[in-house]
Amino acid sequence: MNVRLTPLALSVVTVGAWGLVLGVLSGRAELVVVALPLLLGLLRIGRTAAARDWSLTRALSAARVFEGERVTVTVTVTAEQPLPLLELFEPLPPSLRLVSGHNRALFTLGPGRSVEWRYEVECVRRGRVSLGTVHARFWDRAGLEAGETSVRVPGVLQVYPRPLPLRRLPGPRRMQAFVGNYVAPSVGEGIEPGDIRAFVPGDRVRHVNWRASLRFRRLFVTQYHQERNADVVLMLDTLTEAGAPPATTLDASIRAAAALVTGYLARKDRVGLIEYCGPFRWVRPSSGRAHQERLFEALLRADVMFSYVTQEVALVPRRVLPPQALVVAISPLLDPRFEKALVDLAARGFDLVVLSPSPIPLVRRAMRPSAGADLACRLWALERRARADALHRLGITIVDWDPTEPLEAALGGLTPSRRRRVAS
Amino acid sequence: MRRLAAVLTLVLVGCPLFIVSSTAVLALGAAAMILCFLGILLATPVLVGGMVLALGEYTLALWLAGGPPRLAGAALVGVLLVLLLETADFGRRAHRATIGPGLLLAQIRSWATFAALAGIGTLAAGAAASVASAAVRLPWAPAVAAAGAAVTLVGVAFALAARHLPLRD
Repeated sequence: MNVRLTPLALSVVTVGAWGLVLGVLSGRAELVVVALPLLLGLLRIGRTAAARDWSLTRALSAARVFEGERVTVTVTVTAEQPLPLLELFEPLPPSLRLVSGHNRALFTLGPGRSVEWRYEVECVRRGRVSLGTVHARFWDRAGLEAGETSVRVPGVLQVYPRPLPLRRLPGPRRMQAFVGNYVAPSVGEGIEPGDIRAFVPGDRVRHVNWRASLRFRRLFVTQYHQERNADVVLMLDTLTEAGAPPATTLDASIRAAAALVTGYLARKDRVGLIEYCGPFRWVRPSSGRAHQERLFEALLRADVMFSYVTQEVALVPRRVLPPQALVVAISPLLDPRFEKALVDLAARGFDLVVLSPSPIPLVRRAMRPSAGADLACRLWALERRARADALHRLGITIVDWDPTEPLEAALGGLTPSRRRRVAS
Repeated sequence: MRRLAAVLTLVLVGCPLFIVSSTAVLALGAAAMILCFLGILLATPVLVGGMVLALGEYTLALWLAGGPPRLAGAALVGVLLVLLLETADFGRRAHRATIGPGLLLAQIRSWATFAALAGIGTLAAGAAASVASAAVRLPWAPAVAAAGAAVTLVGVAFALAARHLPLRD
């Protein structure tokens, strides 16, 4: 750490010199006397020793939080030798916003004393946030000289995407073999009554439909629909994004994905994730609490990565993209490569739903309002509608979602029709 | 702390008006006060500009009033200048920062100690100079004073250059 003069020392010299010059020019002794305290003040320079025996620790109130939650940062400074004036500054990454306190502090510390400094931040965007370096400046009491140093205090905060509230989900057309919450067309053990048929040896007595048996004078049994789960694969478009952080199309897509992950896993479905950023990155479908954490970790890392690589959907292994799976693709439909992948999926017979967060309201929010911007947005909306119609003609279900509106409202119109298809 | 700096500014620009209250002094004082206030809020160079004007105002008041040297008032103005610079600088550093326990009290104690010592030292040096000037009459006194001032400034400049380059804010 180098101790150096501050601009204040030069200011003192300037004012003192001006006093001396005026004194000589005016021939008044008072101005020389005025300059004397300024020059005497400079005698204090050189008495600041470089601080060595001090330490700093940082504690976070939580290491894993969701977007929008608050974290209290506590910094503890301990000094073994006196520190007349210690200035600490902790630069905050853009994904954190200061809500109370300050990320800069001034302390005076006696030997063997310690002091705590707290401030509260709000996590505005998902990601792995690193609170790494604290900058320290040691001043003398007058502020004429100071020494600077930086202290590396590792502290990682994981900010998970905030799941949007969602009560109803797109229902899958095809079920899997495991027990779940969907009423499957196939009959077997279940609680949802299906058909009635004549009793055959081996049927359980508890399944006998007594009302029908009494009316027709022969035994009938009630058949029940099986309750099965489904495989759901979320396909996330990370080829490009639009809008200003923390409200880009990718942020909206990831929040929607987090909501769908939470919703489907709560229904005992197996959920997988495919991130399409040119090459594919994936998490195999599975279920359970641990798998939810795995998916959230994957969503935490998801980011736009520019790539010239375009991989075919056929390259995705079957265990990652099972043939009977419901594929929910989340994309703003800005990159033709993702549209090609969607067409490919539909051609392969996948049960496909496209949730498209519209980039237009997000871009409008980031732009200054003008007539030109309005016109451009209207043209963009027409173009998006034309593209959606082209995909719709290929049999792909597209849900257009304005990210400034609740996701529940966008999915609300879709759910009943898919439920009818499940029942048929 | 900015309020303390503002009070010091008012005292600084008000002192010359006690010597002579003329329109020119008042105008210079008003300009100095505005610059000093802006400097307290914005940046040290602006404050230095205001203090340069305040010194000009003080010089004008002394020149208009004439008469014997007022050493006590001069020592007060000198101490005010130092304190104004330091409090304004500290106020800027403390703005939007968490202030630790006991810091303000320690800082005020340090300034008060310096003000007392610098005031007494200046008065003693002024008195010694008065006695010396009464006893010894130097020929070419203005030239000697100018040479002394120049030597002092060069000495200070060398002393500061021996330290390291100034920090950036």
